[in-house]
Amino acid sequence: MIFRSEASRGYTLSAPATAYVGFLVAAPLVILVAYSFWTQSYVTLDKTPTLKNYRDAFADPLVRHLMLRSIWIAGAVTAVTVALAYPIAYFIAMKARKKTIWLLLITIPFWSSYLLRVFAWKLILGFNGVMNSALLMLGLIDEPLDFLLYNEFAVVLTLAHAWAPFAILPIYVSLQKIDPSLLEAATDLGNGPIRRFMRVTLPLTIPGIIAACLIIFIPTVGDYVTPALVGGSDGKMIANLIQVQFGAANNWPLGATLSLIAMLSVGFVAIVFVLTATRLGRRIK
Amino acid sequence: MTDRNIIELRGVEKRYGTFVAAAGINLDLKEGEFFSLLGPSGCGKTTVLRMIAGFQEPTKGSVLIDGQDMEGVPANNRPTNMVFQSYAIFPHLNVGNNVAYGLRGKAPKAEIDQRVAEALEMVELGGLQDRGAGELSGGQRQRVALARALIMRPKVLLLDEPLSALDKKLREQMQFEMRNLQQSLGITFVMVTHDQYEAMTMSDRIGVMFNGRLKQVDTPTTLYARPCDQQVASFIGEMNILPAQLLDETGDTLSINAAAFGRMEIERNPNVATSDRNMNIGIRPEQLEIAAEKPEDYPSTVQGTVSNVAFYGENIHYHIQVAGTETPISVSVPNYFHTVDFNRGDAVWLGLQGASVIDLGQSTE
Repeated sequence: MIFRSEASRGYTLSAPATAYVGFLVAAPLVILVAYSFWTQSYVTLDKTPTLKNYRDAFADPLVRHLMLRSIWIAGAVTAVTVALAYPIAYFIAMKARKKTIWLLLITIPFWSSYLLRVFAWKLILGFNGVMNSALLMLGLIDEPLDFLLYNEFAVVLTLAHAWAPFAILPIYVSLQKIDPSLLEAATDLGNGPIRRFMRVTLPLTIPGIIAACLIIFIPTVGDYVTPALVGGSDGKMIANLIQVQFGAANNWPLGATLSLIAMLSVGFVAIVFVLTATRLGRRIK
Repeated sequence: MTDRNIIELRGVEKRYGTFVAAAGINLDLKEGEFFSLLGPSGCGKTTVLRMIAGFQEPTKGSVLIDGQDMEGVPANNRPTNMVFQSYAIFPHLNVGNNVAYGLRGKAPKAEIDQRVAEALEMVELGGLQDRGAGELSGGQRQRVALARALIMRPKVLLLDEPLSALDKKLREQMQFEMRNLQQSLGITFVMVTHDQYEAMTMSDRIGVMFNGRLKQVDTPTTLYARPCDQQVASFIGEMNILPAQLLDETGDTLSINAAAFGRMEIERNPNVATSDRNMNIGIRPEQLEIAAEKPEDYPSTVQGTVSNVAFYGENIHYHIQVAGTETPISVSVPNYFHTVDFNRGDAVWLGLQGASVIDLGQSTE
């Protein structure tokens, strides 16, 4: 009898998901916000509300530096990944015959763990790694290159590889949705392949590009495993600092504050990006 | 319409592997003509249109537009424009930018704006430049597609089933509008359609296609009155086909003995290959007289029974079972007095003039 009305049926069906989100997303977020207004000295938690953490965070040049670097690295990862993913998605959507097989091939990296993939990059880029050995063997270099690993470049490369499928899929979907007769109409009205791409294909795939950018940018800003493993001291990001606050430094309130600052910065950048991209798309005639 | 050929197809053939989509197409289209390619779906008519547009290259033969061989000329460099079956309105552009699409970068902005306004005026969408592509009705989309193609001032406008997505009322209205537009602009229109009425009401000439072959190219009236064979005869309008024996021929008059109706004299059809001893004749349903009593002023008559009645509004269709042929004879009577005169099972007489009988040539069975 609970299922009598549409509304009660809807609530019942969505209850497990609501509870899940409530306990695992909303509640931790509330706790995080609460912590950011508290202070801690050694093991005692002072629950008097204060803005001290925020003042400390904004005053600290390291925080600003790491935050900007995180956004810069995530932005670079996003740009590189989307730029490389677009041609692949275009090939699968427009040219490939066996689309399912191609899509399956793209997901193959996911069949192994992310940590393994990061370690694989360490092996490839390391001082005695695959890349250096190969270049030495070919006689192209005299001594191993040391700028391959433990810097921003390694972080960008590793993340771009890991996130490629997340960029390919939304772009593929938006390309797939384009009615082929629109492309023929553009040709018929005098456009060659490049003009046609710029005026029809690209603007119609902007939603896919935006989705791909957000899917990659938002999680990579806060990535912590990759910079910890291949970033060295040059490649450290904000998440590494946050981790230190919750771990070695044992300052949860500051950690919570930094997390919230990171979240808000990401949100701000994402909103500015979406608005700009949408506006640019509308200007194409 | 002038006598100059604007499009010439010379032995055009298109194969996909072993499948022959079109073959042996020879066709001259006059400047300023409204030409329709008519045929059932899959007959190759769209393939022919797309070869003219340049979306497909013929496997054999050549396409000439305004005297120039189009081989190797891509679709974007051909003096043709197309109205697509789906209309292909760019969803990210408003009406004005859709119509202006082909002119961008080729003319100054002020000129583009003026030509867009004129083109929209021409298709009766004046002032709708800022309307979004998603806010248009089916008929408006069709008009935008027309304006977008015509603004390019093409030598030939290609139309791929342009009216098939519209409802019946709108379709009939658009038939007249498009015909008027074509006549006032004097541009050659080539339309692909499977709708015989559409083709007949709009076209100067019609090319009928079956199985990749162009069967007959003629004016609508000739196609209706002098089809080249049974297939064309039954595709254009409704047709009763009866077997007959050729008894004698003097000049253009054939003396025959037709099933059900018996002896009569009919006119030779110059479009059919030969009239053999075993031949077929065609009778249009509206050419038959139906009456309760034997109609005296008709030379050929036959008695039968009404097996079916269908009321269409503007006319009434009867199916009459007669001796001498298995399939019932279809008769169409205009609805003059708002009455259905005969009912199923009624005994009736059918009357026929030899002059309205169509010689369909030798029997293909």
